[in-house]
Formats: sequence, structure tokens, C-alpha cells
Amino acid sequence: MGELSASEDQLYRTVARLAQRGPFVEVLAQAASGLSIRHDSHGTSFQYAPRLRGAAFRAWTRTGWSEASVSGLDPTSLRSAEGTLERALAHRPAREGPPGLSSTARLETFTSPARPIHDMDGEEMLKLAREVCSWTKSVPDIRNTHVAISWREDERLYLNSAGARCLQGICRVRGSVQPLAMENGRAESDRFLHGGVGGREVLDALTPENARKAAEDARELLHAEAPPSGKRTVLLSPSLTGYFAHESFGHGAEADQFLRDRSYLKPLLGQVVAPETLTIVDNGAYPGAWSQIYCDDEGHPAQRTVLVEKGRFVGALHDRESAAAMGAAPTGNTRRSDFLSRSFVRMTNTYVEPGDRSFEELVKEARDGVLLESGTSGIEDPLGGLVQVKARKGHLIENGKVTRLVSSMALSGRVLDFLSSIRGLSGKEDFLLDTSSCGKGRTDFLPNSAGGPYLLATAVVGQA
Amino acid sequence: MSAPRPGDAAAFRVGDRLTGKEPWEVFGERIRRYEIYLSSGKVEMTRGPVTLEGYAVRVFRPGEDATGVGHQASNDFSDDGVREAVEDAERIAQYATFPTTKVDLPSGRGATGGIVEVLDRALWEYPTDSLDGYVAGLQAALENRPRSTLSFGAVRATLTETSICNSAGLRTGFGHTTVEVELGVKAFGGPEGPGPGEFWVNETHRRLPSVDLVRQVDDWCRFAEDARRGRPPPTGEQAVILPPSVLAGILPEVFRGRFTGSAQLEQVSLLPGSTVGGDLATVYDDGRIPWAPMSSPVDDEGVPQRRRTLLEHGVVSETLYDSLHAGAFEAGSTGNGFRGFQTGSRTWFRFLLPTVLSPSTIALDAGHGGTDAELVEAAGEGIWIQQIGWSSPDPLTGAFGGEIRLGYRIHNGKLAEPIRGGTVGGVAVAPEGTPSLMTSLRASGSRVELSDLVSSPPLLIAPLTVAGE
Repeated sequence: MGELSASEDQLYRTVARLAQRGPFVEVLAQAASGLSIRHDSHGTSFQYAPRLRGAAFRAWTRTGWSEASVSGLDPTSLRSAEGTLERALAHRPAREGPPGLSSTARLETFTSPARPIHDMDGEEMLKLAREVCSWTKSVPDIRNTHVAISWREDERLYLNSAGARCLQGICRVRGSVQPLAMENGRAESDRFLHGGVGGREVLDALTPENARKAAEDARELLHAEAPPSGKRTVLLSPSLTGYFAHESFGHGAEADQFLRDRSYLKPLLGQVVAPETLTIVDNGAYPGAWSQIYCDDEGHPAQRTVLVEKGRFVGALHDRESAAAMGAAPTGNTRRSDFLSRSFVRMTNTYVEPGDRSFEELVKEARDGVLLESGTSGIEDPLGGLVQVKARKGHLIENGKVTRLVSSMALSGRVLDFLSSIRGLSGKEDFLLDTSSCGKGRTDFLPNSAGGPYLLATAVVGQA
Repeated sequence: MSAPRPGDAAAFRVGDRLTGKEPWEVFGERIRRYEIYLSSGKVEMTRGPVTLEGYAVRVFRPGEDATGVGHQASNDFSDDGVREAVEDAERIAQYATFPTTKVDLPSGRGATGGIVEVLDRALWEYPTDSLDGYVAGLQAALENRPRSTLSFGAVRATLTETSICNSAGLRTGFGHTTVEVELGVKAFGGPEGPGPGEFWVNETHRRLPSVDLVRQVDDWCRFAEDARRGRPPPTGEQAVILPPSVLAGILPEVFRGRFTGSAQLEQVSLLPGSTVGGDLATVYDDGRIPWAPMSSPVDDEGVPQRRRTLLEHGVVSETLYDSLHAGAFEAGSTGNGFRGFQTGSRTWFRFLLPTVLSPSTIALDAGHGGTDAELVEAAGEGIWIQQIGWSSPDPLTGAFGGEIRLGYRIHNGKLAEPIRGGTVGGVAVAPEGTPSLMTSLRASGSRVELSDLVSSPPLLIAPLTVAGE
């Protein structure tokens, strides 16, 4: 990290020159480094993070934001961006600044783990990947095992004409093992995945026990029954609870959707929407979580924002404009996928706070239903208030006991109906944050994390 | 950037300086991107040109029983930048191995893959005016509709000059355009009753859509209105009609998982000659369909794209290869090496991502099922699925499924009330003896439509599992 320091003076001068022509100018410069490996019994692929750096400039004009992105921090590239914005400011001069609070933060933070990973070279990575791969060999029917390990340092420098300077370097580390089981032409896989912000310690989760469990689970899936269909009592595993939080109150509470009049949650702000046991939080400052950031891409520090507090919908996620429109403060949730993409209001680490029940109590209370495990995807419906989450597998719950394994399924329903059906949450001993990514629409993917404890409710499930 | 100029194409500027070991390949792109965002029917933000020019170097180092493959991407065209990218690739090739010792790269100069229509000339020459014109047309088509609006919209145009060269002497390139249209069409108001509803439009084209926008907006507004009133379907096995837009979310990923050299390597490919579908199940991969998003004269390794038969009357036929997988199986590349796949979606830049093996456009020919109305009549009782939330197909098992965002009940051979909520799912393609969409295909309509990575008529499938109230 530290690659952007060499360009800081040029970036600062560009912002300063443009600020003479308009009320507010900002720039986000980005550089990245990293290495990833994918290894299985057939071969190995490696990839360095591309040697790519660039910057997105944004200026406030009479008609709104004008942007220029350049893939290079050399004087010619910066001059090109400056020229684009000069023309925009000349054509559409603004008398007043943009709505909302301009950051004046001065911050410089880099991930500094006790065991840094950036010196982990290809040979060492390959050795670890081979070792992880070997752990599943003793499990019958495992035909192949895919191991993926990666680290990536994302360095971002934010400067604006109000005096903010935020330099952050975030190192994200991730490891996964995905054994493939085969029998009589049927193939199934399961996966163990763990990631976070930090160093080599994140990879300590790649243990023989976790790898073998993934292999045993993949093997069991070969004989899984079809899942039930229809309205059922459902017990969501922590990852599914996280997907639900993310897709329902995460996307639904992104306040840019409020401004577009595109959220079913907008008229519910301040109202009770769920049982008192439910609290949902977005927390960009969660230490070590996969989507931890130190500040957002408007220079506002990351923070813990409570969305639902004891069943009452109390808060939303904001950028400067939505905060200004709703009389709130920015929440540190403005994010760009990269310097080539525009910013949106985005989630970070979104989760359901633990409850006070035990897993066993919830299974007993469910009596007959289905336990959904291993979340794989989800999709929101911010206006209509529907939600879909998918599970790689599950188990039937019969007579208050977890019984037979069932294959992948989808859960669907109206968020508000689902919330009102919540009957309990397990405790902090079950709490888990996963490692995922999220798009806004079909593009703009970002590292995201979601999680929670086990959650008991009612919903429609079906084969998927 | 006007018309592509071969001499200064990104790949050639780098390839001309590579004097080291062979084989090598350089893939280059010069990109302009223009974006218009809409909110509540009004333009919220205009961006562009976002410019990006870069290249990826790939080196192949054959060993005794495998080949070291190194890859690095960069936007630094200086001598030092190129040298550093090559050094990265060479370093990676020491560790990264692929199980073949045979790497046959294509050769040839000029338009090696012939001509395929993938460049919208007006958009290429006048991107801002063209995009502004399309958005203005959209806004006009929504005017005077008191109960409909665009709650959100993004129209993005990418203009790319692709160039590829390699140590076998290949020097080829082509210009192409891509337009992504992402809209949230909202229906609201009216007498007291259901809350607002939204219909999502997610389309990818090679050119700005030239259809009758008013008629298309009519349909979208009707779908949004129906979404307000839809109810979940009854649970059970039912006859289901899947139009091309729904099949586009299912088939490409599943065929990638079963009909490619990577599936063969994994030993999960379907056995050539085995019967995995009914007589109507004839499926192609076609990289030369005009204006299809993945069509191009050559793939991203420079191998000409072609039409390949994957399933013929239910019987497994050809397998798709890129250069590396072709080497592993003593076959020839079928022109299916592509870049730009990430997190289950395609990026507008390709050079930053490594080559993967993928189908181009999954194609089914028109059948004898007749018009949409005749297909509905043939179903008798069942469901027409207009949109699934996210099918998220599993390429390994072929399983797919998701929430019904919009559908219609079929009663007595006619479309009836709208459906919203509940799930539909099943298995798209499976080994011989296992039920799947291909074995349950009862009829194909006669109206073929290109929708993202699928070109197909609507398909009548019976039965399929539906879960609802």
C-alpha cells in the first residue's frame, strides 16, 4: 500500500483548480494489489490484482453532479478529467454547493494485522492450497476439491474542496474449500468459506475439520431428498438470517430508494414492523468483518447504524443527499465499486442481533417444518416488499427434531408477513457473519457481509 | 476514438514489444462508456465518457505433463509497465499449471472471423446524441401515463475496440457496442386497493433498441400494474410456460456446467450419445447470431465463433472448448474462450479478467407449438412465468429456481389472473434417466426471441414444481 501517495499532490492541485470554478469538487483515487489462487486436482490458476489505478472526479454543477473517471494518475489522464469537469462547470455553473454535509474528515488508516499477508508469495500460497486440498482425500466419493485463497489490498484516497483527506488501505483475505462428491453420475458440492479484513489469521479458519465437514456434507447431499413445497414453519441458519436482513431491511433501507419513492419501508419509518426480539444493524465499522471500511467514498467515517430496534424501524442508510433530504446525518454508506463506477448508497455488514433462545428450543418449538442452511443468494424487491433467499440444503424438522437432509430450495414471501411470523432468535453463541458480495441492480458489485443467529418464522419454500 | 485503427490497437502496441519466450497472447481493449441514470422519470446523472484502455498478457510455458499459464492485466503502456506486466505473468506461470502440454493458438491477420453484426454505427459515431435520444424516447413514451413512471433507470452504452495478437502471428480486432437497459417501471395510484408495484427490465443489446418504444412501454406498464394485483399460485406440479427472458436466467449457466471442456475435466459432462432430453430438445451454442451480446467474429482468444450442436433431439452431441481445454482433450478450440465473467455477471471491461470457458448464445429453433396464444391453449391449465426473481442455477447439479416476480395463471387454455410470489424450480439439464426441463419439454413456440444469452421460443414444460399458498 501507499501507492497513491506519489499522486496525492497532483490530485490535490487538480481539485484546488477545479474548486475555483465551482462550489464543490471531490476525487476518489484507487489502487489495488493482491494475489489469488485456485487449486484443484487438475491444476492451479493464479492471478495478481491488475496493475490498474485511476480516479473518479465529481463536481457539483447547476443541474447536479458531473463526473469524470480516468484510468491513470499520470498528468495527462488527470488533465483530461480536469478538462471534462471544466467544461461541465463552464456550461452549468452552480451558485450553491450540493445538498448535505461535505466531509471535512482527516483520516489515514491502513489494515495492520499482527500477521500481514502481503508477503505471502505464490509458492507459499500453493503449499497451503495443496495441504487444504489433501484434507478431504479420506472422505469417500469425493472426486475433486476446489480450494481458493486470495488477498487484496484496496487503497483509496478521498480529497474534497471542503478540506477532507481520507486515505485508507483495506486488506481483505478469503479462503474457501469446495469438495465435489459424485456417485452414479450425480454430482453435488458443498463449501466452507471464510473471509475478513486482516492478515494471515483469517486463513486460520481453513482447518482439516472444516474441510472434511464440507466434504462429508457434499457426500450426504448425493442422497438428499427433494425439499417440501408450500407454506412451512422455517428455521433459518445464521447465513440465511443474514441474507434475509440484507435483502429486506438492507436494500429496503438504502435511502436513495426513499428519494425515488421506491421503498415499501419509507412510510413505515418510526413504526413497529416486527416482534420486539428483532434488531437489525448495518455496521461498516465492524472490526475484521469482510465489508469493514474506515470511511465511505464521500469521506464520512464508517459507523454502526441501527435499522430496526426491538421491532421498530428507526433508521436508514444515507449518502449526503438522502441525509439532507430526510433531515438525517450521513451514515458512511456511500460506496463506489471502483473508480470507474458511480457511487450509490450501499450496505456494509448487515445483520440481525442475537436473541435469547437456544437452537434446541427453536427446533422444538418449530415441531414440524424445515431448517434452511447454507445461504447461496438472495434478491430484494424494494418497492413491492417481497424477498427471495436461497439455501444450498436443509433438513426437515419432524416432531421437534432435526431429521432428513433435503436439497436446495428457495424461500419467498412478503417481508412484513415474514416479520410478523417471527417466533424467536437464537443467542450469540450461534451468531455468524458471512463473506459475500452484492450488486446494485445487475452491476456495481461490492464486498458485503450479512449474518445473524438462527431465526424461526413462517414462509413459502420450494425446490430451487 | 473513431473507427478502429489497427496500427495503434492496444494489443498490437504491447505485442510488438514482446520479444521474450513463446507462446504468448495479448488481449487489448480501448473502451468508452456512457451512462445515463434516471430517477422518478427524470435524468438523475449523466456520466461519460468513462475511458479505459488496457491489455492483458498471457504466457504459456509447456512442461513435461502440464503447462504453466501466467496472466497479468495493466493499463500502463510504458516500456516499464509492459515489462512489469510480463514479469508478473512469467512469475505466475511458475506456479499456475493446466493439465495439457499442447497449446495451439490461432493465427491469421485482419478480420479472421469474418463479419458478425455487433457494432451500432450510429452509437459508435454519436454516442451522446444516440443515448440521449433513446432516453428521451423512453421518457416520452411514459408521458401522459398518470399511473406509471420510471422509478429507477440506468442506460449504459459501452463502445469497445478489441484487439488480440499472439506469438503464432495472429493480429485481429473488431469494434463492438453493448447497451444495457435497466429499468424499474412503477405502477401506482388508482382506486383504493393494492400498493404500488414494479416491473424490472434488465436487457443487454448490441445496439440501441429500435423497437416501437410506446408499445414496449405499454407492456412494461401492464406488467407493473399486474404485479400489484398478483397473488401466489397454488402449490403443486403444473404445466409451465417459460419465455426466452426467463430461460436466459437458467440455460447458459447450466449448459456451461455440463457441455464444456471444463465439465469434461471435472468428469461431470454429459456422456456424448446419451439421451438426456425428448425429441424436441435440440439446443445449439451459436456465437454468430447478429446483435447477440456474446456474438463476435472471434472469441477472446482470436478463434472464430461458430454454431455448435449441443443437444440433438435430446441426444448429447458436441462439447465446447477454449484453447487450453482443447489441448487437454486432443480437440480443437470451438471459439468459446471468453473474458469478463465475474460474480455471476459480465463486466463491461474484459481485459482485467482471465479467460474462462463459456457458451456464447444458447439457441433453440422455432418449434411447431404456434403463437404464444396457441402455446397457452396447448397448456390447458398451468402457469405462464413472466419473470423470476433470480433463478440462480447451479451449474453442477443443474438445479434452478426462485421467486415468481410475475406470472399468469392459465385456465381453460387462456391467460388468466396475475401471479406474484411463491416459487418455481426444477432441474434444467441432468444425466440420462433424471427428469429435467429437457425431458419435460412438451412444445416449443414458433416465435424466437433473443434475450441476453438465449435465443429461443417460449417453451411449454410439464410438469414443474410450483410452491405457493
